[in-house]
Amino acid sequence: MSSRPSERFGKWLVSAPPLVYLLFFFAIPTLIMVLASFRTPGEFGGLSPLIEDGKLDLNLDSYIRFFTESVYAQIFIKSVWYALLTTLFCLLLAYPLAALIARSPKKYRDLLLLLVILPFWSNFLIRIYAWMIILGPNAAMARAVNSVLARFGHEPVPLLFSSFAVLVCLVYVHLPFMVLPLYANLEKHDQALLDAAQDLGANKWQRFWRITFPLSLPGVYAGAALVFIPALGIFAIPDLLGGPEDSLIGNVIKQQFLETRDWPFGSVLSIVLTVAALLLAGLAAWAGRSQLGTRSSGVPSRA
Amino acid sequence: MRRRPVALWAAAAAGYAFLYVPLIIVVVYSFNNSRLNAEWVGFTLDWYDKLFHNQEMLAAAGNSLIIALVTSLVSTVLGTMAGVAMYRHKMRLLSVLVLAPIAIPEILMGVSLLIFFVLLNFTLGLASVALAHIAFCIGFVAIVVRARLAGMDESLTEAARDCGATPWEAFRHVTLPLIMPGVIAGALMAFTLSIDDFVITFFTAGAGTVTLPLQIYSMIKIAVTPEVNAVSTLLMLLTLALIVVASRFTPSLLRSD
Amino acid sequence: MKRLALLLASLLVAIPAAAKDQLHLYNWNNYIAPETVKRFEDFCKCEVVQTYYSDNEELLAKLAAGAKGYDILVPTSNAVQALIKGGQLKPIDKAPLPNLKNIDPAYLNTAFDPGNKYSVPYAMSLTVIGYNDRKIKELGLPTDTWAVVFEPKYLEKIKGRVTVLDSSSELFAAALKYLGYSANDVDEAHWKQAADLIKKAKPYWAAFNASSYIKELTVGNIWLVHGYSNDIFQANLDAEAAKRPFHIVHGLPKEGAVLAVDNMVIHKDAPRPDLAHKFMNFMLEGKNSAELTNLIGSGNPNMDALQYIKPEIRKNPAIFPDKAMASKLEQLKDLTTAQRRVRNRMWTEIKAGR
Repeated sequence: MSSRPSERFGKWLVSAPPLVYLLFFFAIPTLIMVLASFRTPGEFGGLSPLIEDGKLDLNLDSYIRFFTESVYAQIFIKSVWYALLTTLFCLLLAYPLAALIARSPKKYRDLLLLLVILPFWSNFLIRIYAWMIILGPNAAMARAVNSVLARFGHEPVPLLFSSFAVLVCLVYVHLPFMVLPLYANLEKHDQALLDAAQDLGANKWQRFWRITFPLSLPGVYAGAALVFIPALGIFAIPDLLGGPEDSLIGNVIKQQFLETRDWPFGSVLSIVLTVAALLLAGLAAWAGRSQLGTRSSGVPSRA
Repeated sequence: MRRRPVALWAAAAAGYAFLYVPLIIVVVYSFNNSRLNAEWVGFTLDWYDKLFHNQEMLAAAGNSLIIALVTSLVSTVLGTMAGVAMYRHKMRLLSVLVLAPIAIPEILMGVSLLIFFVLLNFTLGLASVALAHIAFCIGFVAIVVRARLAGMDESLTEAARDCGATPWEAFRHVTLPLIMPGVIAGALMAFTLSIDDFVITFFTAGAGTVTLPLQIYSMIKIAVTPEVNAVSTLLMLLTLALIVVASRFTPSLLRSD
Repeated sequence: MKRLALLLASLLVAIPAAAKDQLHLYNWNNYIAPETVKRFEDFCKCEVVQTYYSDNEELLAKLAAGAKGYDILVPTSNAVQALIKGGQLKPIDKAPLPNLKNIDPAYLNTAFDPGNKYSVPYAMSLTVIGYNDRKIKELGLPTDTWAVVFEPKYLEKIKGRVTVLDSSSELFAAALKYLGYSANDVDEAHWKQAADLIKKAKPYWAAFNASSYIKELTVGNIWLVHGYSNDIFQANLDAEAAKRPFHIVHGLPKEGAVLAVDNMVIHKDAPRPDLAHKFMNFMLEGKNSAELTNLIGSGNPNMDALQYIKPEIRKNPAIFPDKAMASKLEQLKDLTTAQRRVRNRMWTEIKAGR
């Protein structure tokens, strides 16, 4: 691809506005808090003065705390696990939805897509409350599950205030963020490719696994990123319907900023979370790219 | 001949059911004759009546709508640009800057933006909230647009340029129509994220600024009454209507070709 | 398309406050009766702009990061302590507050604000036990002791039907009181004992919940809670409205409980301190103060208000505790940074199941 001068100008024209915006309204504020991770908490909240008695007050205390008190790493790993499960179940549920919408006749496509996202314009809290009603101990679902369990002599199991409830709601809340990227990708798949494969003797499963899925990988990856990364930091769902064991790293971070008023430590936890999320995302992208050959387009290296 | 695989339909139907059973409860409970959102007691229209007299709640809903519209507009434009830049020019810095707001815990971002605005002596209000929302929505749009661009045939754009089109013309008439479903998907996500955001909004809102999530979350310890269900139902219908109307006026916008 | 964008942008910028006199009140939601607000607006010929928070800590975090524009805040005593020491408050001028004499002297001149330089008591609540009277009576459990929340021998009868507050200060306070210590005890060894007590009881609890426990109690999914007295009062009203076959009743632990007094304070950068003082004096009038108590069942430190309060609320020992109970109540004190860190580590370990 030749690099004409207008090409390079075009490159800066298209990347400058978002770059400048994010530098100003994201990078600089975040740097303030990154700096905060090296400071001491204010006695009554906030941060201690940066320069006290002429000395710069910077230290590694909060970082040392994170690496020595292992309970935080333990909760962190649990959160990664929850986020992975959420991403997996979202993918399983979202793929047929996105595929159906992508294959539908054009006049229905937009409506079907809107129908996926419509529920999420209602307030988060009452959607969770609706799940609390569905999963409540006296509701149909819990009664059915527990009557089956009772037949095996098992104690009744609470659906509400449990990891099950947390996972169900995590999947529920993140589902459209898997459906939309998948749809955007599946929509451009050429039916002709699949028809040609069918003519050559490939069955339904082979057509999916050898053609559709690899081509959809950029969409899968995008959806996975938009589900996994936010799911790592979530705290509202465990707060509302988690059991006593379902505290996640998002809850711990929230506590640092609120109850404990230890902003430096909250900052450290947040930085670790962000770096880990970005690393995992980068790792997945790299793995995806190397698996599919040199082109990042997702076309399999075997024709 | 189009195949209609039953398995696909069944799985998709299950997906829609999963999405809509809670929503049906939300809408039905807006008519519930009980202060609590917990059990069906009886039918009433009182909550809608209460809602129409509740200036605070209506103003909050209006604020949320305005902020969400501005946010989705600006972040879609900026996010599309970012997505194109990330794909075409493989800018590492931009990739990190775009992904990081999604990864960073909201509470940290909220506190840091508040500190930042205070340092700049920027009056907090609707504008500060919108600026904050745009910052974290750009990433969502950018990632979807980039995924859409993946595998796109560059030869089409090259051909357009060789035929004498300017980069802008090539973008507008070749690239943009091709990525439009990604752009729309991104805009929808940005709108959804903004209209329901609580944590970042809490910290960046001004002394008189109330958005719907702020209003509703503050009720969490007393009771989230069916009035909230009512306002949510109405907001959903309103937004749906807005989009249908908008698509009537710009039919080419939503079509992918 | 461009025109639409411009219109929307201009709407955002043009929304700032109207030129009318405004009092910015930053308060808990539903912590002032709408009639009271309206009457004040008529009285002062101004507009009251309300914004809400649902937790003292949210208020503290927002102010610590530098937010301003608020006139009156309503923090609980330990938060007032933090705000005073953090230099966030404007001293009160007593001259425009003749109604201050209405407040029961027992609630004035406290350790965290000697001489009431910065704060004026507003409303109170106790953190007690709330329970479903039918279910708990059936099971024959005691309701006048924290043992029913902490002892496995009682808990196994109500396994999965108990919630506790998701607040380390409140839960530790209850545990410390049960063990016979002060709720404000800062001995780490005592804290360890409390943490062990909590860990032993945790498997029987349904959740640590501060937000939806009242709803679950009213519906009958949860039978016993560690909660705030006005929430429990409200739950009972809801249960009656829904014609449930049970009542939600307060249980007053004989070991003692936490008393939370919420106070009106003025932020140091308040735009209208004159209106703020007017508001304070207005709320110190017995009639106005009583309206909140009648609405949500909150305790009231205002002696002049007692005559206006509904008799059934006046008689409720969890809202107006008698002398015996009052002597066992303690207000929570703010902790130092080092103490908060230790407490948080213990709390995280409890939550992580260590």
